[in-house]
Amino acid sequence: MRRIYESEALHRDDEDAFSPSESDRRERPQAFRWVNVSRLSRLLFPRRLRTWAVSVRIGTPREEYPVGARVPFRITMKNSLPIPVEVPTASPVLWTWTVDGHREASHVPVADPPDTEGAFRFDRGEYKRFSKRWNGLFRVSETEWERAGPGTYTIGAGLNVPEAERKGLYDETTVTLVRE
Amino acid sequence: MALLEVENLTVEFYTEDGVVTAADGLSYQIERGEKFGVVGESGAGKSVTALSLMRLIDSPGRITSGEIRFKGENVLEMTEPEVRSIRGNEMAMVFQDAQTALNPVYTVGEQVAEAVRHHLGYDDEEARARTIRLLDTVGIPDAEARYSDYPHEFSGGMQQRAVIAMALSCEPDLLICDEPTTALDVTIEAKILDLIEELADEFDTAVQLITHDLGVIAQVCDRVMVMYAGKPVEKAPVEELYYDPKHPYTVGLMSSIPRVGDTRSRLQTIPGTMPDLVELPPGCSFHPRCPYAEEACTLEEPPLLDPETGEPVGTDPSVEHSAACLEYTGVLTEGLTYEIDVVGETDEPLTRRAEGN
Repeated sequence: MRRIYESEALHRDDEDAFSPSESDRRERPQAFRWVNVSRLSRLLFPRRLRTWAVSVRIGTPREEYPVGARVPFRITMKNSLPIPVEVPTASPVLWTWTVDGHREASHVPVADPPDTEGAFRFDRGEYKRFSKRWNGLFRVSETEWERAGPGTYTIGAGLNVPEAERKGLYDETTVTLVRE
Repeated sequence: MALLEVENLTVEFYTEDGVVTAADGLSYQIERGEKFGVVGESGAGKSVTALSLMRLIDSPGRITSGEIRFKGENVLEMTEPEVRSIRGNEMAMVFQDAQTALNPVYTVGEQVAEAVRHHLGYDDEEARARTIRLLDTVGIPDAEARYSDYPHEFSGGMQQRAVIAMALSCEPDLLICDEPTTALDVTIEAKILDLIEELADEFDTAVQLITHDLGVIAQVCDRVMVMYAGKPVEKAPVEELYYDPKHPYTVGLMSSIPRVGDTRSRLQTIPGTMPDLVELPPGCSFHPRCPYAEEACTLEEPPLLDPETGEPVGTDPSVEHSAACLEYTGVLTEGLTYEIDVVGETDEPLTRRAEGN
């Protein structure tokens, strides 16, 4: 009888005990089941072409919001190639949003991702849409938030890759908070 | 030294939608033979906490910080063979859904015997005999004949008992029960809980019981941790939690317990739902649902505080009752105005009811 621990299903790296099986992300079901298209795209297309294929757009329903109101925004990412592509990311955090350059409107780190690379996978021609809200506050410490005053703020979103803006993997928009 | 010491445990899941912080800075201890309850709504991070103890968090989840010391050794620094030697042996788990936990293509007896052979070094015959005794202990009728049955031939209650037998097979020092009775009807639930209590007393096993049912906690546990949105909001001995809840969320959970003889036409609920863990509200995570929330609650997140002194308790085990509410820092102007309405005998926690104003 084959035991579960004899299979590779629970394999973990003794050097980094929290490194899960490497195959999980890359071996997920593919559009073409008879060939691993994302692996093929990694082999055939250089990283530059894969990043070129993906675009990021961000938008808000309005340009002005009252101070204290939540600001909804939508991020749309698109793979314009007719094949799946995988964009390597700097960490398992695949993308981030910022307000005036502060990740998730926080002056303190909001997550502590490991130093391992991640991969953001897009199916052929896939649109990914994410709806987020900025609550009009800045996190100033681990336990405290402050309200943003009236003024213009830049909300940005981009893939977690080095020089995302230069590679076209980042977009931003501005909103104005006004007193009611 | 406590049997299990969890300190500042943080578990994050990296999803396409963002980072889900399923457990955020959790700290607690479990003594030998103690029954410790973890309670909260679905999505509060209870199961993730349990899986972390066994180091069973898989991709895309990561334990990003903290320490889990079992018998003084940090589980997070052990090699995989070391963890495998304690998993199912010294630390065992009763999984939430027994039907899923059991392998459908192996007989129930074989699945229990496998752990016995692997950890205790028994040969096939000895393992079979021990497994039959275990199945008998957990109340499987005609255990010898049922040894060779497949999981689909067992009822839900029997499957759950088989999973409990598997967890107890190596007489663990810590038994983690992740909602062991959620899928069962109330009569079987009562039997299973009695069984866990009896067996825990018999083997002097510490139990971490995870549930969203405060009635179950009242029946089984000595101490309780109430979780909300991946964080502990109240920790207390079970009697104190029922007689003197300090956090509005705990009060909300109490008031939603149905009670025989209650004249209310509708059950009281906590309005709203658990927040999205990718996008937690600022300040106290419970403030959007809290009837006592004030402006300060939206801007400041309270740590676990000693309700008497208002001082943060940190990881100090000497403070038995703590709650994460700004009320105890003196910041709230209106205060918490709920009343505890005691009904029936005072020595019966389940007959107590908390009502918010």
